[in-house]
Amino acid sequence: MTQQVSSRPLAPAADPAPAELGPAGEHLAGLAREAALARLFDANHTSLLRLAVLLGAEGEAEDIVSEAFYELYRRWHRLRSHDAALSYVRAVVCNLVRMRVRRLQVARRHAEQVIESVGSAEAEVLLRDDQRALVEAIKRLPARQREALVLRYWLDLRESEIAAAMGISAGAVKSHTSRGMATLTRLLEERR
Amino acid sequence: MSDVPSGPGPRQAPATGSAAGPGVAEEQLRDVFDALATSIHGASDRYPAALADWRRRERRRRIVLAILAAVIFAVADIIGLWALSRADVNIHIIFDDRPGSSTDAPRGGIGPPP
Repeated sequence: MTQQVSSRPLAPAADPAPAELGPAGEHLAGLAREAALARLFDANHTSLLRLAVLLGAEGEAEDIVSEAFYELYRRWHRLRSHDAALSYVRAVVCNLVRMRVRRLQVARRHAEQVIESVGSAEAEVLLRDDQRALVEAIKRLPARQREALVLRYWLDLRESEIAAAMGISAGAVKSHTSRGMATLTRLLEERR
Repeated sequence: MSDVPSGPGPRQAPATGSAAGPGVAEEQLRDVFDALATSIHGASDRYPAALADWRRRERRRRIVLAILAAVIFAVADIIGLWALSRADVNIHIIFDDRPGSSTDAPRGGIGPPP
């Protein structure tokens, strides 16, 4: 799968490049990368999986998160700092889910039948009626607005963090959040 | 559901002002997101399999890149050899010292022999 990933957290690494260290140094750098990745994976895999599902990945969430971690594994030495790793993976997950949503929209436009999501979290979890209506409204939001709302109200990220994850400006984040809430309100009022 | 770690979970960050209006409350949205998120369970001990997958993909990517570079190099070589083999041996591209091929006599007295 090829994708455009946000390159903001990527920059020439502060650590010396493995090529300058020789084979032994490269091996050590590889081990350090895998150890750091193991910690990051154990600490954040489930939350990233949930993020992907909330953004609309549904059955492909596991693949998307796996792909995001692989991108991090591949570009580990280009990270600006190791603290940027989580925000980088989050940005990749957002981009991959957005690509999936667009792909499905194109497929639905060209197909006669509606493609039903199988085994989605929305179908399995027990929700009240008002919550279920809200979930339906969230599913009808444009991808960017949904991303902004999930990152803002579930992950409680700051605007700058949301902007980094979505690859847009802080002003655009405010705009997407505000429009998303307005759209949700309108959809719920139409339903009543 | 209660034994599931809640991941990052809400930190109760201060709101930047309600953009919702009377329709959708922020707390309502947080509750729905939390309810959906806690219903999702990640497989435990997934890292070894993921690491094996990353290593396999990285190895395959490097092999494909090496093969691609070798193929491009070989094709460039073949095209060069083919172009050279088609050239007329009597036409010299760089030096042409056949008699009468010189058009102008050098003014400084330096040039190919007559």
